[in-house]
Amino acid sequence: MIGQARIESIGSGILGGFATARGILKLIAGSARGVLRRDYPKGEVVRQMYTIGNKSFVFICITMGFLGMVMVMQSGEQINRITGDLSPLGAQFLRLFIQEFAPTITALMLATRVGAGIAAEIGPMQVSEQIDALRLSGITPVSYLITPRLIASVCMTYVLTVFAVVVTFSAGGLAAWSVFGLNPHVFFDSSQVHTYDLVLGSCKAIAYGSAIPIIAGYCGMQARGGSEGVGSATTNAVIAGSFAVLQIDFFFSGIGFVFFGGGL
Amino acid sequence: MIGEGFVRSIGRSTLFAFREIGGVTLLTGKVLRSLVPPRFDGPEFWRNMYRMGNKSLPIIALTAFFVGGIMVIQAGVFVKKLNAGQLVGWGAGYSIFREVGPMLIALMFSGRVGSNNTAELATMTVTEQLDGLRALAIDPITYLAVPRVLAMTLSLLVLVVLGNLIALYGGALFAMLLLDLEFSTLYYSLVENIGWMDFVHGVIKAAVFGASIAITSCYFGISVRGGAIGVGKAVNAAVVAAAISIVALDFFVTYLLP
Amino acid sequence: MASMSSSPTESAIQSAILLSKVELHLDRVPVLQSLSLDVAEGGRLGIIGPAAGGKSVLLKVLVGLLKPDSGSVKVRGTEISDGDENTLMDVREEVGMLFQNYALFDFLTVGQNVAFPLHRQRDRIRKSSGDTLSDSEIDERVEARLLAVGLAGSGNKMPSELSGGMKKRVGIARATIARPKLLLYDEPTAGLDPVTTSKMYDLIAKDQKETGCTIVAVSSDVNALCTFADDIALLHLGQIRYQGKSDSIADADDELVRQFVSGADQGPL
Repeated sequence: MIGQARIESIGSGILGGFATARGILKLIAGSARGVLRRDYPKGEVVRQMYTIGNKSFVFICITMGFLGMVMVMQSGEQINRITGDLSPLGAQFLRLFIQEFAPTITALMLATRVGAGIAAEIGPMQVSEQIDALRLSGITPVSYLITPRLIASVCMTYVLTVFAVVVTFSAGGLAAWSVFGLNPHVFFDSSQVHTYDLVLGSCKAIAYGSAIPIIAGYCGMQARGGSEGVGSATTNAVIAGSFAVLQIDFFFSGIGFVFFGGGL
Repeated sequence: MIGEGFVRSIGRSTLFAFREIGGVTLLTGKVLRSLVPPRFDGPEFWRNMYRMGNKSLPIIALTAFFVGGIMVIQAGVFVKKLNAGQLVGWGAGYSIFREVGPMLIALMFSGRVGSNNTAELATMTVTEQLDGLRALAIDPITYLAVPRVLAMTLSLLVLVVLGNLIALYGGALFAMLLLDLEFSTLYYSLVENIGWMDFVHGVIKAAVFGASIAITSCYFGISVRGGAIGVGKAVNAAVVAAAISIVALDFFVTYLLP
Repeated sequence: MASMSSSPTESAIQSAILLSKVELHLDRVPVLQSLSLDVAEGGRLGIIGPAAGGKSVLLKVLVGLLKPDSGSVKVRGTEISDGDENTLMDVREEVGMLFQNYALFDFLTVGQNVAFPLHRQRDRIRKSSGDTLSDSEIDERVEARLLAVGLAGSGNKMPSELSGGMKKRVGIARATIARPKLLLYDEPTAGLDPVTTSKMYDLIAKDQKETGCTIVAVSSDVNALCTFADDIALLHLGQIRYQGKSDSIADADDELVRQFVSGADQGPL
């Protein structure tokens, strides 16, 4: 038997879900309006680009470098077991890196680093009534705070994704050369990359770049009560951001496969 | 020309990184020492097992399901091109067991449990609750950190085993829907090509990732400074450190294990 | 219930604030219940009451930061309870507020914080007419304001370098710099010693003499507030239990009000 309390908790969960969806949609509309009206402070976009982009540079470099090496090692081992012909490895990997792993793993990393950063910045502002003070000064907090972060995040996620492709591919080539003795000339082969892969990778990067600051900003603005509230807002931003990245990945890859036959 | 400020900032961040690495190593040492002979709070361990393991099950299950789908979509291109339907089960199983399963589930776990743990410990630290424990002659490391490290390691291990299964089922579902493959094709392709070692490889990775997430999240929680802003920054630093250590350890474990 | 207004038609012109039958729930908990309030232009109203009685919420309703479920909120003759953003922006132009947690922007210096309302005002005026303050005029006014609150020369510090009392004074400087017609103070003296408290009220009173603005102040320090304010309202469980002249509150008919003001531990509270 399902008790009444159980039904009530499911009901309030569903209502809460609707409220969250409405809040996020409002935030998307608000920040888009901010992009059109351009009523955010001057220089803020550049400052945000610096915090989001430059400060994630080393982080992305380390994580994506290791990832490129691991992936090439794992699949090289399998190919060795079956055909033993490692020559198509590089060309296939470049395709995969561009349309799947570079954008998605970069975005997962940014969802933790940038998402947590944005929530940790906006959360305290919400808790200490700074958001109310902004509204009182006749400012729309969404276009003042979220819009510059949105613009900066879309640009920098794209740039970092391109950079991640370079890092993973070079690290993969290095691993192929040192572990399997594969000639770098054979590995660095871009013949398998088509427009489809570039478009799909770009679409994903832009979608991730927009989702991360919106979700993190929403979580930050929902922060209630002291340092505990800020902590849980930051946590929510990380988990919701990462999950959104995976869903967007699934969605775009699925559409690409079903409607465009995976680029073939 | 490279400015003085640039050199200085490199020096500063290098020093900073070494300080954090040193702090994490010290904490690891303390945690290991209190395990032989085992001295930690039992009820606290079980409470954390419930909070960290049980409560992350839904998000991990959803993640795993989508990951399975994504893997199959990626494999689908090759299936169409090379007509290699009998390889899908093996390919998806191999990459999920060894690589994608443990790593993505660990990243989600770090986001949900690791950052939550940092936030909780950091709040306790800034509100002087750790000093309160010390005043009662209770060592905060054995009382708070050790049960959490054990609970996180164990619960991530279990979650990865479950998550792998869910990812395989998710993958099978999408393979049947999108690629018109039979379940039996997928099943035999998996069991004939995947050995125990592939599974164990991933489980070992899960334990290593769990321990590293736990240690970094406890370290940044305990060493926090300065109010609500400090708590936010600590969570941020902890998830970044956890992500770096997951990917770096992934490389070393892959390299060392068969 | 004592009130300082006469007939409703007259008060619509004279009142700086006119609330009638305002209801507000937060998370299904009633916070304000059928609350009516009338503050005359140029008056000083002090709001007191036990903790969690809805004092800060009431201030936020007055500037549209919280929207009431029902009832009417008129600020200087404009109805704001429907939450229309453009109306709110116009009303907020003429309102200054000191927040309970100061709400200083921690990404700006003290000077930039104080100058913030002037910059916003300039941006808005520039769009309509074009006759605006220059940068140096803004700097002068910020310096003068910081001097008035006793923080001359702190303009380049960051808010995190200041003590609680100093932050509060920066908050007052920011709230008053654009010479608003209505000033709201949320706990202007919490955590301050008695001498600083009376200095703070002197400062607020001096400003009011120059600008003729209306002041609503919320405080848990009953005695200091009663000395400062002309009228006192006591808010309890989301309702106004008492409203009247501040010097007669100690002789109120309501036992609860007398107990709250005297601080006795025996009584209905």
